[in-house]
Amino acid sequence: MHEVIHFDKVSFRYPDEEKWILEELSFTIQRGERVVITGPSGCGKTTLLYLCNRLYPDNCDGILLGSVKLFGKNSSSFIPGEINHRIATVFQDPDSQFCMQTVEEELAFTLENLHVKRDEMENRIRDVLALTDLTEFRYAVIQKLSGGQKQRIATACALIMKPEVLLLDEPLSHLDPFTAKKYVEWLDELQQKCAMTIVAIEHRLDLWGDFFERSISLNKNEMAPILIKRKSSKQKNDSLVVNKLQANTYLQETSFTLKRGEVAVLAGPNGSGKSTLLKALCELIPSSGSVESKLLGYVPQSPEFLFLTKNVRDEVGFGGGDNTEELLARLQLLPIADSHPFAVSHGQKRRVAIAAMLSDGREVILMDEPTSGQDAKALSELFQLIDERAREGTTFLIVTHDMEFAYCLADSILLMNDGRLTGQFNADIVWSDDHLLMDHNLLSPKEVILREKCFA
Amino acid sequence: MKNALHRMNPSVKFLAITICMFTMAFFFDPWTPLVFWAGVLVLQFFFSEINWKRWLLFMLPFFVTSFGYFWTTLVFAEDSSGSVVWSIWNLQITETQLNHALSLSFRVLAFSSLSLLFALTTNPVTFILSLMQQLRLSPKIAYGVMVGYQFLPVLKDEFVQIGQAHRLRGAGGEKNTLQRLLGVRRILIPMLAGAVRKAERAAFAMEARGFTGERRSSYFRVISMGKLDIALVSLFLFLLVLSCTHIWWLG
Amino acid sequence: MLKSWKLKEIVLMSLFAVVFGIVYLLFLHVGNIWAGFIGPIAYEWIFGIWFIVSIICMYIIRKPGAAVVSETIAAAIEVLLGNAVGPRLILSGIVQGLGAEAVFAATRYKRFDLWVLMLAGVGSSIFSFVYGYFLGGFSVYSTGYVALMLGIRILSGAMIAGIGGKAVADGLLATGSLRGYAISRSKKGEARA
Repeated sequence: MHEVIHFDKVSFRYPDEEKWILEELSFTIQRGERVVITGPSGCGKTTLLYLCNRLYPDNCDGILLGSVKLFGKNSSSFIPGEINHRIATVFQDPDSQFCMQTVEEELAFTLENLHVKRDEMENRIRDVLALTDLTEFRYAVIQKLSGGQKQRIATACALIMKPEVLLLDEPLSHLDPFTAKKYVEWLDELQQKCAMTIVAIEHRLDLWGDFFERSISLNKNEMAPILIKRKSSKQKNDSLVVNKLQANTYLQETSFTLKRGEVAVLAGPNGSGKSTLLKALCELIPSSGSVESKLLGYVPQSPEFLFLTKNVRDEVGFGGGDNTEELLARLQLLPIADSHPFAVSHGQKRRVAIAAMLSDGREVILMDEPTSGQDAKALSELFQLIDERAREGTTFLIVTHDMEFAYCLADSILLMNDGRLTGQFNADIVWSDDHLLMDHNLLSPKEVILREKCFA
Repeated sequence: MKNALHRMNPSVKFLAITICMFTMAFFFDPWTPLVFWAGVLVLQFFFSEINWKRWLLFMLPFFVTSFGYFWTTLVFAEDSSGSVVWSIWNLQITETQLNHALSLSFRVLAFSSLSLLFALTTNPVTFILSLMQQLRLSPKIAYGVMVGYQFLPVLKDEFVQIGQAHRLRGAGGEKNTLQRLLGVRRILIPMLAGAVRKAERAAFAMEARGFTGERRSSYFRVISMGKLDIALVSLFLFLLVLSCTHIWWLG
Repeated sequence: MLKSWKLKEIVLMSLFAVVFGIVYLLFLHVGNIWAGFIGPIAYEWIFGIWFIVSIICMYIIRKPGAAVVSETIAAAIEVLLGNAVGPRLILSGIVQGLGAEAVFAATRYKRFDLWVLMLAGVGSSIFSFVYGYFLGGFSVYSTGYVALMLGIRILSGAMIAGIGGKAVADGLLATGSLRGYAISRSKKGEARA
């Protein structure tokens, strides 16, 4: 009787779609285990998680076949809210899982849901804050905290229910690698103190180290493509010359030069001014100094922010460029040319955005965190997209935390800290300089680590 | 004592203000709203710690509106009986017309001051909690509103970012109102699409923490009612009666 | 009534209200202060913008109460955002929502075509006008002036809230983000039939 979660031939689909998201899935999770469920985006990981905490099938009127047993009982036999006390969840997006202003109020909200008596609340709040080492944040305003701090608060909110199982929905995907690693260490300690079962869904395991004892793969026999370090397509002539650029007191004087066809990565801790630099470069915020090459393209983290029209073809041609059809063909957008730009996949949205930028004749493209929350397949698609364009002579400046990705892609690395550009480095120099990496909350890429082990 | 209005129970304050406004709506002489307006300012002076500069800034548009009411009532009044007190060009203004015009513009000032008094002395979160605890507002709605409030900075930021992205593509910067409205539509769609996603995530996060929307058996932060509320409500009612009966004491 | 509502639907209304709140705040109201000089009629032509949330929400969610609840939430959000008119908005929100709700109820929540949405806008206009007539003391104005104000407001309700609301909601539907809401299901049903 130590089974906490038991799926037996479970199939699931949404009411208005024919395709089954999960098909005849069976597995068991025992008390005290640390299990990770892996698979690419869209494989049904999230659906699976929602079936474990009973957000589904009720919330989407989905069709469920087979049996889901929680603590040995049929999941549908629990009344609404009952199971959530025993199986708590931490979600992916640090910005959308709180409903109150301060940490204390948020914890109290959870206790009120459990109908905890008022005189017990104080103790439980104090205890959970002590347990999670978050006492100093008790009166902090949640929206002002960093992503990593928010994820810890969300975890504390889950733990205050004294759950038997903790579900984690890609909790690291919005954190920088260093913060993510710290979170995993912190969680490791907590699990040992509380002896709970942990079930996580995740598409990238590298940041977790050896945290998990077992993994369940939902991969439908598709091997994730492996990125291979690309050959540089850097040319002789300058394409972007930035001289003494400065903006709204935070971004300090910045100068650097990129060559035609060069791929540069801009990295540094969260809040170090990377996005500000990109926006100053393409004149979205007022700045002083000079930027040579007036036509800069910019792709925000959510590419759909750029979209203005109702289909992909109009979107690419919006700026009045005359090579729309050619670009659609070159960036493999013809099959979706008549679709609504919001209704295509995330990778395709980014493709549309870049096509629109190129159609406007923008030869330098700035991308803000295109890798965040992307699985291996999406990353390889993105890699190919950038690689091909760079070969055609487009220059890229890409903000990313993903050093594996940067390792395979970048000719040069620009590092930032506290609103200041600390330097422009040749990529290979950065990987072997631990101090430099540490100072900017970065981790050195796996390939480099592996190679060093071979030499040692 | 200086912060009495800030400490007043928000629901009680809300009801007191509503009763005052509905009662005032029956009076069409200039003195009732004028006395009431003066009274509100006196209450605000003695029992609140608001920043009067801010108050003036907020009141400015209402002074303008009040003037708008004044002249339109003079020009478009229904009842033009009584003796002529004033004539400009060929417009004859009678005593009734003037009284009605002054009454309506003072009413605007009285209502606006009353609303501002509420807005400047009430913490929004406390107000929602109080609506739930005193006026039995459904927790589903109360916390739904609370989530919206938490998302304000996130969505504001998104609004700016989308505007910037559109400007980069050469859209935006329209001058006339119609173009601006169409421009707003372009920003609205991505914002609403994002809001749909965020709403689901936030709702799921709340449900995953055991929120079912049912009534709560105990509250961490109890919003109470007490003697202070009785005293302040009595003051409001006294002021209301005083201004409505001015005929007897003003002569 | 609230029992049959999913939490995500309520939160959706609330976030929509915030989005529109931001638009009012940052876009439409700036520089409009001086319009007050023209008197109460100045805002009539744009009045429909206040009803748009309830029409969009009802059109998407299609459950009894969606118009009143969303308009009330929208008003509460306005108060939280620091709107100086404050508590008065909550009551007027309820009244406006009831106006639209009455029209949808009359069709037994079965029809959501353009005409019904425009009528709902008109419903909100009329209900809110009666409320404004009482609180604003419009009875002192001549019948012609009052009729003109009402006329403009009805037109604004039908055009901005009805036609505008449908345009925004249809635009949103085309993005594919409303999967799982009543509006998506009904469109598919129509397509099959």
